[in-house]
Amino acid sequence: MSPGDVALILFATFGILVVLRVPVAFALGLACVPVFFIDDRLTPFVLLQEMFKSYNAFVLLAVPFFLLAANLMNAAGITDRLVRLSQALVGHLPGGLGHINVMVSMLFAGISGSSTADAAGIGSLLIPQMQKQGYDTRFSVAVTACSSVMGVIIPPSILMVVWGGLMSVSIGGLFLAGVVPGILIALSMMATVYVYARIYDYPIYAQSSLRELGNAVAQAALALMTPLIIVGGIVFGFFTPTEASVIAVIYSLILGVFIYRSIAPRELPKILYDSARFAAISLFCIGTASAFGWALAYFQIPRALVAEIEAMGLGVIGTGIMVAVAFLVIGMFIDAIPAIIILGTVLWPVATSVGMHPIHFAIIGVISLAFGLVTPPYGLCLLIACAIGKIRVIDALRDVAILLVPMLLVLLLIILLPDIILALPRLVMPKFVN
Amino acid sequence: MGRSMIRKILGGYYRLLQILLTVLMAGLLIPVVLQILSRYTGIIPRYIWTEEIARFCFIWIVMVGAMIAVRDGTHFDVDLLPRLGPRADAVLRLFTHVAMFAVALIFVTYGYQFAKFGSIQTSEIAGLPMLAIYIAWPLAGLTWLAFLGEKFFEDIRILRGDIPPPPNHEIPRAE
Repeated sequence: MSPGDVALILFATFGILVVLRVPVAFALGLACVPVFFIDDRLTPFVLLQEMFKSYNAFVLLAVPFFLLAANLMNAAGITDRLVRLSQALVGHLPGGLGHINVMVSMLFAGISGSSTADAAGIGSLLIPQMQKQGYDTRFSVAVTACSSVMGVIIPPSILMVVWGGLMSVSIGGLFLAGVVPGILIALSMMATVYVYARIYDYPIYAQSSLRELGNAVAQAALALMTPLIIVGGIVFGFFTPTEASVIAVIYSLILGVFIYRSIAPRELPKILYDSARFAAISLFCIGTASAFGWALAYFQIPRALVAEIEAMGLGVIGTGIMVAVAFLVIGMFIDAIPAIIILGTVLWPVATSVGMHPIHFAIIGVISLAFGLVTPPYGLCLLIACAIGKIRVIDALRDVAILLVPMLLVLLLIILLPDIILALPRLVMPKFVN
Repeated sequence: MGRSMIRKILGGYYRLLQILLTVLMAGLLIPVVLQILSRYTGIIPRYIWTEEIARFCFIWIVMVGAMIAVRDGTHFDVDLLPRLGPRADAVLRLFTHVAMFAVALIFVTYGYQFAKFGSIQTSEIAGLPMLAIYIAWPLAGLTWLAFLGEKFFEDIRILRGDIPPPPNHEIPRAE
């Protein structure tokens, strides 16, 4: 059988199963099974073996730890402190709470590596407040969901840890490369909020005095140290990403239990359980996705794809756009981590063959997948925000689409001008990033 | 044994898995913390088994979490199709569960071989039997068979109109 035929079997089986609401992890595993019977040397035993191999990667330990740290930060009331700081910083702009929402997400993104914890923590705090102040619920939900995508773009980032671990790209380099796009996305979103506020006449807060601002900074200072410790520690080689994630957990535990005293020890088992379960569901997907990716590689589908695309004669920009579209589309349907395993490994040789910088390729992929967190049918952050705002996903779509337009322009800018993202890692880590 | 008895046993088993998951998460944290402490402070000696214990807990977290998520229906799925009406939805749910049942069967049959393969190995550093890890696959398969069996009964009773269909799709939550 040709690579094309095998690819058709794999993707068609997977697609049909997913449409019929079979969970993605099971659909990926089941889609591999017919392929295992094509070749006499293969049996479904490979499925289990590949799953085991994928879980045996030490770097993946960072996933549950970063989730746990984010949940601890939420439970410790760090989000409240960041809200007060954001209010002092941007509350006086038209559409105050909208800007605060974006700003908090940006600050929280610097502390946590997960967008879903961002959407859940900030949404449950700010969506009710926005509703009380007369903001349209659909808009409040859309801003919360869209701004939470920064969680995986601004370092630390679970997606970048997985990407770096899987494709041997410097995780410190990826983290640094995520800073500028994260800020650009925040600015683009604040511009949209500003336009909304002008049209719908949304309320503003009084300008904070310098004293209030100073107070808010002092209140949030310990929490704001987290990104310095984690990102600095990884970039300057003090510790590995896995260790950094554990340090984030220890730091947030100390803050929550001993310094702010906002987490009672008896709450800890529930936080542990919730983090472990959520991590397990996405990690389980990694296993079957790896088997799926293995099947693709065994039948040399990536190589066939490289040949096809080389024949098209796309340059770096053309390939960049193709990579972005591929990740945006797959991100609509499946979770980001299995998407990295399946598409990332298929497109990696393509990107290399046109001479795209590995960090450029990774950042385009991560940002596109992050946008997938708010695009239906499978947009986790949008689902969470809608559940908090108690509206249907379909009702929030118009505002999400409007907010996404400037964000997509930022993505296009990054595809066209790789130097925007590469400058920072080149400056800070000249030895590792060329 | 009556139906309610089986339900109770499965409910108890589910609760046990939840406790196990919490303990495993704590168990994952402790060895890695020890590892970091020994590396940066020298307060405690450097244990070489910490990484293996962490890996062991990690794999079990993934597998136990995957078992739990089958019973409470929180594995990620994609909601593309519109609501088709109670009967058609029940048929679809039954199909979904059959597909998952097939995966569970693969896990049980090939997992048995997998565990046998593991039973002749020990881990590189601490010399732990690898069976302790590989057994997670057939166990997950068996657990799914039990939980999915429970769901089949429910689906069929919904199809026959004995009980009302469950409320709309559950939404995965991060907290």
